[in-house]
Amino acid sequence: MRASAGEKVFYAANYILLSIAGMLCFLPLLHIFATSFSDAGMIMSGRVSLWPVQWSGDAYKALFLGTRIVEAFGNSVTITVVGILLSVTGSIAVAYPLSKEYFYCRRLLSLLILFTMIFGGGLIPNYLLVKSLGLIDTYWALWLPGLISTYNMWVMKTFFQNVPRELEDAARIDGCGELRLIRSIVIPVSLPMIVAIALFYGVTYWNNFFNVLIYMNDTSKYNLAVLVQQMIFSASNPKLAIEPDLQSSITAEAVKSAGVLVMVAPVMVVYPFVQKHFVKGVMIGSLKG
Amino acid sequence: MHNSARRRFKQNMPLLLMFIPGALFYLVFKYTPMAGVVIAFKDYNLYDGIIRSPWVGLSNFRFIFSNGQLTDIIMNTLWLSLLRLLVGFPFPILLALLLNEVRKTWFKRSVQTLVFLPHFFSWVIVGGIVLTLFSQESGSLNGLLERWFGVTYSFLYHVPSWVAIFLGSGVWKEAGFSAIIYLAALAAIDPSLYEAAAIDGATKWRQIWHVTLPGISTVVSMMLILSMGSIMEVSFDQIYMLGNPAVSSISEVISIWVYQLGLQGGQFSITTAMGLFESVVGLALIVTANGIARRMGKELW
Repeated sequence: MRASAGEKVFYAANYILLSIAGMLCFLPLLHIFATSFSDAGMIMSGRVSLWPVQWSGDAYKALFLGTRIVEAFGNSVTITVVGILLSVTGSIAVAYPLSKEYFYCRRLLSLLILFTMIFGGGLIPNYLLVKSLGLIDTYWALWLPGLISTYNMWVMKTFFQNVPRELEDAARIDGCGELRLIRSIVIPVSLPMIVAIALFYGVTYWNNFFNVLIYMNDTSKYNLAVLVQQMIFSASNPKLAIEPDLQSSITAEAVKSAGVLVMVAPVMVVYPFVQKHFVKGVMIGSLKG
Repeated sequence: MHNSARRRFKQNMPLLLMFIPGALFYLVFKYTPMAGVVIAFKDYNLYDGIIRSPWVGLSNFRFIFSNGQLTDIIMNTLWLSLLRLLVGFPFPILLALLLNEVRKTWFKRSVQTLVFLPHFFSWVIVGGIVLTLFSQESGSLNGLLERWFGVTYSFLYHVPSWVAIFLGSGVWKEAGFSAIIYLAALAAIDPSLYEAAAIDGATKWRQIWHVTLPGISTVVSMMLILSMGSIMEVSFDQIYMLGNPAVSSISEVISIWVYQLGLQGGQFSITTAMGLFESVVGLALIVTANGIARRMGKELW
């Protein structure tokens, strides 16, 4: 089938528009990258755009030596890794029973759970609860209230429902108990979906800003999000505990950019490998939910 | 009969055991805070606690709606989120429609990789990028303006340009990822519909109008209903990163006020009342939107 003139224009415009959209999403990041690795003088004179000018690692040196970013990075990793383990386990433990039609009160429980998606007590009652449980300044204040995202759990439940009955029945006849059934049949069969959900939780924990801000009074418990935020938005230059020599060879811009890059680097490294899982996760949730 | 009930009980035992932690989670961390909203009707103080603090009826709500500053905050929240919906809602649909027309797989995949990316950045990062681009002293855009025209403009300190940045940053962060759901709907459209339309001599435009758009209308209405529930919410993180005193006449929203007065100021009752008002309006809107959608046979539940 031959494209008409109008269609040719449409296709050309389409490719151009989409290229621009793609670039718009990426170029700001490239600019941050360029700033973080450029020489201070070049940044001040505005000559850095999309690629480092006169490569320099001083901003990173200042960042690692002069701030608590290494500690915060470690905290972010702890929060994220433990958080993923708890949340995935917790979500499976709710999603699996709800996926069985013979489960007691399945409809009522589902309604009670789904209701929490459209109504909640709000920030203050949540805060007072966490406080009264004595969770302030512990990461349990992040892990427990964030244990299950109902949306993610529901995606899992929908997926479990579509696991072929025959697989389970065969295992049951072989005398397989429920836990072994889950471990050796249900989880392996649903692994791509579970990976996707784990990653959704991972991103949420990694980027968690607000809860760390309100529940962590002890600054040594800060994660990257809060530390980098305070660095970026401090009106003055970041306070750096570094020798004057290094101090004079850096600009605040470069150090702030370096901080941003340290925080997005792990996401960028993992992203290409997991992109298709993310997409799949959303699609399962959207079409079968 | 008796036997099957026993069998069902036996089947349920492991499921029930498994369900206990999750049930506790929902009870403690979802339903307890819902009960905690009683302090909106009390004069809560730490010494007396939730139970013994004195009842004050609706006076907290009366205070909120009679205080000009607070009604301003509510209106700001409403305006910003209505604008966000109006501007932000069409972008993912448009993006999905454009991506759907791309024949070259490598191109489609590359564009998708790029436009999904910002979704995975925290608002801290997006805020940092916005500052780098738009701040007056060191922003790249002002650097260019300075060099070309010799002037600079404080984009973040003027209300119109700030609102544009607020909306733009939201679109930048979420439009790509939100397009996935529409892409999925587009992929589910039966290709034979397009073939039939082409045989009937329908042009590209007519195909999009008569096949593509009806094919995604269910998902569009679903997303619209869901977004109704958040019409009273403006993300704390986004405003916390982008807001500043110069534009507080528009950037002062409910979530920020609750944080400042409630968590930093210890005024728990009045901020809980505001939170409850926000939740109830959100619930009412989502239920209403679903009711309207039901009339058109596109309800969510």
